[in-house]
Amino acid sequence: MRRYELMVLLDPDVEERTVAPSLEQYLGVVRNDGGTVEKVDIWGRRRLAYEIGKKAEGIYAIVDLVAEPAAVKELDRQLNLNETVLRTKLIRPETR
Amino acid sequence: MAKVPTRKPKKKVCVFCKEKISYVDYKDTNLLRKFISDRGKIRARRVTGNCTQHQRDVATAVKNSREMALLPYTSAAR
Repeated sequence: MRRYELMVLLDPDVEERTVAPSLEQYLGVVRNDGGTVEKVDIWGRRRLAYEIGKKAEGIYAIVDLVAEPAAVKELDRQLNLNETVLRTKLIRPETR
Repeated sequence: MAKVPTRKPKKKVCVFCKEKISYVDYKDTNLLRKFISDRGKIRARRVTGNCTQHQRDVATAVKNSREMALLPYTSAAR
């Protein structure tokens, strides 16, 4: 089990209220594999430093989790398949 | 004849070592902004006064931050 920090950057056209439930759905991958989700922090709408796909804004969300590498890899893969996810970043905070 | 130094070298102490911060967070843009120029370039170590390890951590954090559009790659300031 390893500790990860995942940042997800979502399309600004998505309703902010629907972010948490849809994120939960993805996090099911981690939970089913015996991992735990420690914290979900939704920053909300923020201005991007540069345009991504003609969009000037984005919705940021941070997830702290503990899981197996394979589960996290699968989570990241699934997120990137989603059209409303602009960027993801997966980091292991303490190994740097 | 001894060379007279025209400018006295002011020894800067790395802010991270001083504050005992071991992890430079890429999400903390306010902190990272102190280490980039107004054009968005990473400031050199001789400017920031960071130690080798922390300068490297800052650079990595800035780059991570850029990937997530928290910091600009370039900002054409005129």
